[in-house]
Amino acid sequence: MMQVAIRGLWGRKLRTVLTALSIVLGTAMITGTFILRDQINNAFSDIFHESNKGIDVVLSKKTAFTSDNGTTAGPLPEAVIATAKSADGVDKVEGQIQATGSIVIDGKYVTGSGGAPNLVFSYVTEPFSNSQFISGGPPTDNTVAINQKLANDEHLQTGDRVKLATDTGVVPVTISGVFKLAGVSSIGGATLVVPTFHNAQQWYDRVGKTSVVYLSAQQGVSPAELKQNVEAVVSNDVKVQTGLENADQQTNDVEGATSFLTYILLAFAGAAVFVGLFIIFNTYSITVAQRMREFAMLRTLGASRRQVMRSVLLEAALMGLVASLIGIGFGILLAIGLNALFKAVGVDLPTAALTIPIVWSVLLPLGVGLGAALVASVAPAVKATRVPPIAALREGFTLPRGVLAPYIPYIGIAGAVLGVGVIAFAIRAGGGGSRVLLTMAAGAIIAFLGMSMLSQLLIVPIAGALGAVLEVVLRVSRFLGLIRDRIPVLGPLVRRVAYGLTLGYVWVGIITALVLLSILRGGLSTGSVIGAAVVLAIGGILFSVLWRRRLREWPWDASSPTAGVLARENTSRNPNRTAVTSAALMIGVALIVFVAVFVNGFKESFLGAIDRSITSDMIIQGQSFQTIPAPVVNAAAKVPGVATASGIQFADAKIGNGGIDTVNGVDPTTFSNVYRFDWLKGGSDELLRNLTPDEALIEEQFAKSHDLSPGETFNVTSIDGNKLHLTVHGEYKDPSLMTGFIIPSSTLNTFSPGSKDPQIVLVSFDQGPAGAQAERSIRQALNSFPAAKVQTNAEYKKDAENFVNGLLQFLYVLLAMCLIISLIGIVNTLALSVFERTREIGMLRAVGMTRRQLRRVIRYESTITAIIGGILGIAVGLVFGWIVAQGLSDQGLVFVVPYSQLVGFLIVATLFGILAAILPARRAAKLNVLEALQYE
Amino acid sequence: MNATATAVVSARDVTRRYGEGDAAVDALRGVTLDIVPGQFAAVMGPSGSGKSTLMHILAGLDKPTTGVVEIAGTDITNLSDSRLTLLRRHQVGFIFQFFNLLPMLTAEENILLPLRLAGETVDRTWANEIIDQVGLSDRRKHRPSELSGGQQQRVAIARALASRPAVLFADEPTGNLDSTTSGEILNLLRTMVTTHGQTMVMVTHDANAAAMADRVLFLADGEIVRDQGRSEASEVLAAMAEVSAL
Ligand SMILES: Nc1ncnc2c1ncn2[C@@H]1O[C@H](COP(=O)(O)OP(=O)(O)OP(=O)(O)O)[C@@H](O)[C@H]1O
Ligand SMILES: [Mg+2]
Repeated sequence: MMQVAIRGLWGRKLRTVLTALSIVLGTAMITGTFILRDQINNAFSDIFHESNKGIDVVLSKKTAFTSDNGTTAGPLPEAVIATAKSADGVDKVEGQIQATGSIVIDGKYVTGSGGAPNLVFSYVTEPFSNSQFISGGPPTDNTVAINQKLANDEHLQTGDRVKLATDTGVVPVTISGVFKLAGVSSIGGATLVVPTFHNAQQWYDRVGKTSVVYLSAQQGVSPAELKQNVEAVVSNDVKVQTGLENADQQTNDVEGATSFLTYILLAFAGAAVFVGLFIIFNTYSITVAQRMREFAMLRTLGASRRQVMRSVLLEAALMGLVASLIGIGFGILLAIGLNALFKAVGVDLPTAALTIPIVWSVLLPLGVGLGAALVASVAPAVKATRVPPIAALREGFTLPRGVLAPYIPYIGIAGAVLGVGVIAFAIRAGGGGSRVLLTMAAGAIIAFLGMSMLSQLLIVPIAGALGAVLEVVLRVSRFLGLIRDRIPVLGPLVRRVAYGLTLGYVWVGIITALVLLSILRGGLSTGSVIGAAVVLAIGGILFSVLWRRRLREWPWDASSPTAGVLARENTSRNPNRTAVTSAALMIGVALIVFVAVFVNGFKESFLGAIDRSITSDMIIQGQSFQTIPAPVVNAAAKVPGVATASGIQFADAKIGNGGIDTVNGVDPTTFSNVYRFDWLKGGSDELLRNLTPDEALIEEQFAKSHDLSPGETFNVTSIDGNKLHLTVHGEYKDPSLMTGFIIPSSTLNTFSPGSKDPQIVLVSFDQGPAGAQAERSIRQALNSFPAAKVQTNAEYKKDAENFVNGLLQFLYVLLAMCLIISLIGIVNTLALSVFERTREIGMLRAVGMTRRQLRRVIRYESTITAIIGGILGIAVGLVFGWIVAQGLSDQGLVFVVPYSQLVGFLIVATLFGILAAILPARRAAKLNVLEALQYE
Repeated sequence: MNATATAVVSARDVTRRYGEGDAAVDALRGVTLDIVPGQFAAVMGPSGSGKSTLMHILAGLDKPTTGVVEIAGTDITNLSDSRLTLLRRHQVGFIFQFFNLLPMLTAEENILLPLRLAGETVDRTWANEIIDQVGLSDRRKHRPSELSGGQQQRVAIARALASRPAVLFADEPTGNLDSTTSGEILNLLRTMVTTHGQTMVMVTHDANAAAMADRVLFLADGEIVRDQGRSEASEVLAAMAEVSAL
């Protein structure tokens, strides 16, 4: 049987390769993801351990909880340094200021590459230093050292005079030296500026403070002993760690951040494998049907049912095994390639050796690939066992339908409903943790399986409708053709241009690219449609000129509507097959539509909230999503023509003994001038204006989840461990921008001193001429704070929109994988169908079907299948999106149908259909008429 | 000129060689032949004598290795695939042993398929007439799977006639049918020749079928060894025995 299996695979090379490809892509993604994860984590681990090498003990502010949103504890008092020094066994002690800021060149704030942070760490001496100077040396007063990548990117050298953005304004500095950090030019693209400890204190509002304290032990004292000794002398709000513990914690923090990316990549790999299942299932189903004679022969020769089943499963397993091995190989290449790509775009990771985690990047994908092949081929294998020996003797024997077959559509309906229900339930259960996401994924899988079974029922009607449309189009084009033939002079020219316009896969490819591009850029705009039309027209003419020779001998046979009828009938004659083929595409499209609906809904709700709530004229935000130096608020307020400048600070805080929520700090006297609240329970702006330091305004969701109403009290703890006992002063609704609760910023500054800098500053102008000038004046005035990005509301929204579009693009690119796999699926099914209909094709050619007509039939068939997939995918995606939007509506998510993008997806599906037909159509057209006629 | 000018199909010194070198098979070794309009020719001969090969070449499905073939006055030896297809579409009809109908189309749709492929407006009266003649008026909307073998072959005949081809080729059209049904089908073919003047070339192993034809050609080893006019079945059998003994 092994031999039969191997021969079987070899004998059907094309289908084996196409089927295997879906597994190859999925497993490659899994392998690549895990290698990359390990590589990044190892690299960071290396850096952190390297840079903590000379440090025996580290002191920092103790944190009451860990924040996912970057809330940090405030600095330590500088006096800790002296206290620590008094501990037994201490050799050296040094403090370090850690802040954010960057060099300013020509008035422009230099940002890190790929959104990496801009760090300012004050200089520490040996043995604590982890920098190796490649030119110059350590900073002195009013000079700074910078990392190598920053120097290279901005063409800076030791001795250059530049400006540094600080919390107190722009200060002129001289570059004292350029260094590498733990052996690399930059850590993940971040910029690093190193001033003296004293300068850093002044510039970054840390006078009398220190962010961390490093200690080294005397000879003979171990880090653990030193830690104990230090713990004995410092107060208990100081966290004492050994250098190793610190390195481990830093590594863990980074791993936490990268694991998010890992999960996303794995989710997409999973989707790819899931789509692959459909393709494997379909291929094996068709193959089994075509090999019925063969199985019957084997049975007459004495093969048992079990042997027949085993031969099919063995073949699938072999294919799965080889495909996963190839996939793993590709995954390794992928990881190497991505690493090179990261380097090329400037995310400089230290080159940790390429390690291949055997379990995750070899065994797991191997299991997934093999498992997928087996799972998807079980049903076809069972079907093969049902072939009776008699089938070998009878021409055109067809298997009786299985017992379950009539119920499959109903099982499908049940599955679809159940799946959708599971998703709705998961969302209602709330949260957002991985449990909810996994439940939603399970719901989606059930719904997709259900839809693919149910869609058998939909194939015939949809194909009928599409066929009717196609027929009308063909009739019109035939009519035009008749007219054209009546105008002999125009004939050849029109014919050529028409050919150039409508045919040629080059054009299909170009249009696909154009549509994809415009979707990536946020939907079809009139501009892009007109652009595409112009490109097409010019191209059509060019094309017709270039192809003149070919066209001359090319007989222009009237486009007959029969091609449409045949195509429609071909898709309908085997609804199961068409259903499964289009289901693969359906999944990809549904996921894309869902993402589009969700992200656009998110964007709409966010932008809508900005429109509704923000009444200021300008919005100031930090560079690279960093905070804005606190003095910006006063600087902005002083600008002539500015009526109000008011900031919002965010911090995470622990509520009571339980969960973590957002605390917003605003200035009660000014904030309502720039922000419109949606007050609940009869509140008004008055509530904000008379907010006292121990009172809070709470958001509706917060009120609900903590069961609070005005007049009641609650306790909160900051990341520094400070506690507040707050009275609810009022309630408002603002699920997008100001979730959690609001306290006066003066309270927040002492409660969570690490969050004293605002995230956003809103500025409104005076009425009258001064106000009209204010935009210019404020941009000028804030030149001394380049870390603050001054924008009009429109610019700010555009920024936000670009960010969201960037996210969408990233997701689309990942989802394109699913589409490509489903494209392969269509190619495969078509190729198999062509093969199956060899004799039929021979007959059609004999009675006068031209090669072009034959190709056209196959192209239409493919297009109908693809459009069905597209339509079903859009429907399912919209349903998913709607459910999620409903479930999250109280969190401000709105349901938006991105019509222009949907049209774009449908066009892409159509073009995919056309592209998928290229190879099978070519194969069919190449068939020799005589041989095809005699084919058994 | 001579008969060539009036012949619907003519072959001059046609040879056909399959394969190359030692394994080469000469299926036809110089066949010259004219089929005039309205003629019903039967081709007989032992298995492997080259009947099918000859028919394929005369019908423009295959090309001769050497020699010239003309269909309706067009030399097909140098035609491109597209031109050849168009020629087949308009001038040639086929009836196959395995009826070769499209399973998902109805009888009527199958019959009209070649016309539809040509994008021509269907001549309704003509279509109805042939459907009537092949006796399928009450079976128009049936799919092939719902028809008997004889009925399926009638559909194939109607399909071949629908485009009013200059010549109709049939390769063992009754090879897959029982004798009663065969008789009916042969009568039908004969009627088409008699009433519509349809030119027809039929390959057959059946002496009774050959007896229906106006002319019987005998092929042996790739050559025409006998060419006789209308013959009784017994004469055909005798000639066959003689040919096989060669
Ligand atoms: N495609 C091919 N390749 C090689 N040889 C072929 C091919 N087709 C036919 N032949 C050979 O050419 C010769 C004539 O074949 P052909 O099919 O024309 O015979 P036939 O008279 O139709 O026989 P039958 O009565 O069995 O149908 C035979 O020897 C056959 O083996
Ligand atoms: Mg034959």
